[in-house]
Amino acid sequence: MGLPALQRIISMQRERRRRQTRVRGGLISSVPKRKSPALQQDGNSEGGRRMKYLPSLPEDIWWHIHSLMPMQDAARAACVSRTFMHSWRRHTSLTFSKKTLGIDEDVCEKDGKARDLTYKVDRIWIEHPGIGVKEVRIEFYDNKTRVCFLDRWLQIAVTPGIEELIVIPSVGHKRYNFPWSLLSEGSGNSIRCLFLSRCVFCPTVGLGLRSLTQITLCYVHITGNELACLLDNSFALQQLGLSHCSKIIRLKIPSLLQRLITLEVSACKRLQTIEIEAQCLSKFWFSGERLVQLSFGEALQLKTLDMHCHGAVCEARANLPSTLPNLETLSVFSYFETVNTPMVGSKFPFLKHLTVKLAAAPAYDYCSLISFFDASPSLETFFLNGFQGSMQHPSILADPSGRRQMPKHRHDKLKNVTIAGFSSAKSLVELTCHILESSESLECLTLDTTEGYDYLRCSVNRSGKCFRMRRDAILEARRGLLAIKTYIEGIVPPKVKFTVVEPCSQCHVVEL
Amino acid sequence: MATREAGKKMIMLKSPDGMEFEVEEAVAMESQTIRKMIEDDCADTAILIPNINSKILSRVIEYCNKHVPTTGATGAAASDTVAPAALAEDLKIWDAEFIKVNRATRFDLIQAASYLNIKGLLDLTSQTTIDTISDNSLEEIRSFLSTKNDYLPEEEQTIRRENQWAFQ
Repeated sequence: MGLPALQRIISMQRERRRRQTRVRGGLISSVPKRKSPALQQDGNSEGGRRMKYLPSLPEDIWWHIHSLMPMQDAARAACVSRTFMHSWRRHTSLTFSKKTLGIDEDVCEKDGKARDLTYKVDRIWIEHPGIGVKEVRIEFYDNKTRVCFLDRWLQIAVTPGIEELIVIPSVGHKRYNFPWSLLSEGSGNSIRCLFLSRCVFCPTVGLGLRSLTQITLCYVHITGNELACLLDNSFALQQLGLSHCSKIIRLKIPSLLQRLITLEVSACKRLQTIEIEAQCLSKFWFSGERLVQLSFGEALQLKTLDMHCHGAVCEARANLPSTLPNLETLSVFSYFETVNTPMVGSKFPFLKHLTVKLAAAPAYDYCSLISFFDASPSLETFFLNGFQGSMQHPSILADPSGRRQMPKHRHDKLKNVTIAGFSSAKSLVELTCHILESSESLECLTLDTTEGYDYLRCSVNRSGKCFRMRRDAILEARRGLLAIKTYIEGIVPPKVKFTVVEPCSQCHVVEL
Repeated sequence: MATREAGKKMIMLKSPDGMEFEVEEAVAMESQTIRKMIEDDCADTAILIPNINSKILSRVIEYCNKHVPTTGATGAAASDTVAPAALAEDLKIWDAEFIKVNRATRFDLIQAASYLNIKGLLDLTSQTTIDTISDNSLEEIRSFLSTKNDYLPEEEQTIRRENQWAFQ
C-alpha cells in the first residue's frame, strides 16, 4: 500500500461521513467537527472520557476485523450498523463448526440441537447465496446432519470463484456421498485447496481441477482409478495427502503432475504399490503397517524421504539407493526392527541428514547401522533414537568380554551425532565408540539417556513436571550413564563438544 | 539514509509532526509498505510516513523491533539457539503487554498497521478489538466503536430476525 492507498482510505472516510450525514439527517450537526483521524496529532484521541473524539476506522479496516470474527459474533455484529451488514453479506470465508456457530459441546441428534444447528447453517446460507464466497469449511465431526441439507449447502457453496473447500461431514454410520459432479461443471476451476474427510468420492469422469494446488483426503472411500479422475488435469497440484483411504490398492502419481512437491501417504491399509512418476516431487512421507512396493520411476528429484513402518531401516538400506540417488534427508521410523541392517554395495551419494528411530528386537545389532555411514559419503548429521521402555539387549556392563573391534572406516563429513534413548546395550556402546574412532570431522556428540523429546521435560512443558518415566527406563538410563563413563568418555577427542543428558534429578527419583 | 553499527543499514522514518526515527532497515522492512519503497529505490533519503503521528509511529517501531527475526553475532538466526516454542511464547507475552493501551491508541495502531501493511500488528490489534466486543450487547458495541445505529426501525427488526440464531 502506498500513497494512492492512503488517498483511498481518506476518500473512503469522507465518503463514509457523507453517507452518515445522509442517513442521520439533522443529527450529524450535533457531532463536533474534528480533524481527520488520520491526521490527528494532538493526542486528543487519548482518554476514555472523550469518547466522541475516538477515531472512526475506515470501512476496509472494519471489513478486515469483521472477517476475522467467529461466525456467530460476525452475524451479531451485522445488526450494529449498515457497514457491518454489508461486510457480513460479503463474508468470503464461512466456517461451520460447533465453535463458530456457538453450539454447546454436547450436541447430539436426540435433543433436537442438531436440528437447531442445521437451521442456523441454512439461515446463513440464505444470507450468502454463494456469491463471492471463497472459503467454505463444514466441520461437523459429530453433529449429525441430514444428507439433503449437506447436498444443498454444497450446491450453494461450490460456485465459480470458490478457492478453498473443507468438508468433514457427519451423517450417521454411513459415509457421505460427496456430490462430485458439482466440481466438474466449471465450479471446480477456481478451487485451490480441497480437504475431504469421511466421504465417498467416486467420480466417473475427469474433473479438471486446474487451479488445485493442495488436496487432502482422509478416511475417503476412493479407488486408485477414481483418484486419477479427481486429479485429471490438476497440473498445478503441489501437495497431495492420502490418509486412511483403504480402497486404494495401487497408487500412481503420474508424470503429468509436474508441480507436485509433497506427497504424504499414511495408513492406507490395502495399498500394495506406489508408483511415482512426478519428476519434481521432493518430499515423500510414507507410513503404514508394512512397506509397500515403491517404484520411483523418474522421481529423481526426491530429496527428503520419511518412512514409517515395520522393518523400515532394513528396507531403506536394501531397496532405496538404486532409485533415489539425490536423496539428502532420510528419516526412517521402524515400529519393530528384527533384521540387522544389511551391508549392500549401493550408495546414497548426497545424503546429508539421517534420522533413525527404531524399536529394535533384542537380537538387533546397532552396529549394523554402520552400513548407512559407509553408503553415505556426504553424511553430516546422524540422529538415532533407540529408546525402549525396558531394554532387552545384552548389556555391555554384564559382558566381561568388553567391546568388539569394528573394521576401520572413515566417515569424513560426519559432524553432528545424537543418540537418544541411550542405554548400556552393548552394540549401541560399540556403535558410539566406532563413530568416535572413525569420524575425524566430528564436532558434536550428544548422548541422551532419556526418551529424547524436549517436550517431555519439566524445563520445557507447561505443567512444570517431567512426563512419567518407567522405573525400568530410569534404572537403564543410569546403566547407560555408567557405560558412558566406562567406555566412551575416555575416547572423546577434546575438540568434540560432548553432551550427556540424564533423567531429571527432581522428577525422576528412584530408590534402588 | 545513514549507516552505522557494524554495517547494519539504517533507515530514517519521519512522522508528519517532525519527529525522526532512525531504525535498522530490517526492522523498517517488517512493514511491507516500506519494504516496497526500499525495494523500488524510493527511499534514498528519509521516508515520510504521512499519516501516523510520532507517538504511534514510535510504538509501531517498538513492535517491529521486537518482531524482526533477530540475528546473533555469527549471523545465525537466534532461533537456532533459542527453542522456537520458547521464542513464540515470549513474543505472545510481549504482545499481550504491548496491546494494553486505550481504545483510541489501539484504533490508531490498527490504522497504522493497515497503512504500513504489518500483518502481525494488524492481526494483533484486530483480534484484541474482536475480543473486547465479542460478548457485548449491540448498544455496547455501538458505543465502543463510537458508531451510530443507522438502521431504520423496521430494517433493524428484519436484520435482527434474520440473525436471531446468533443471539441464542
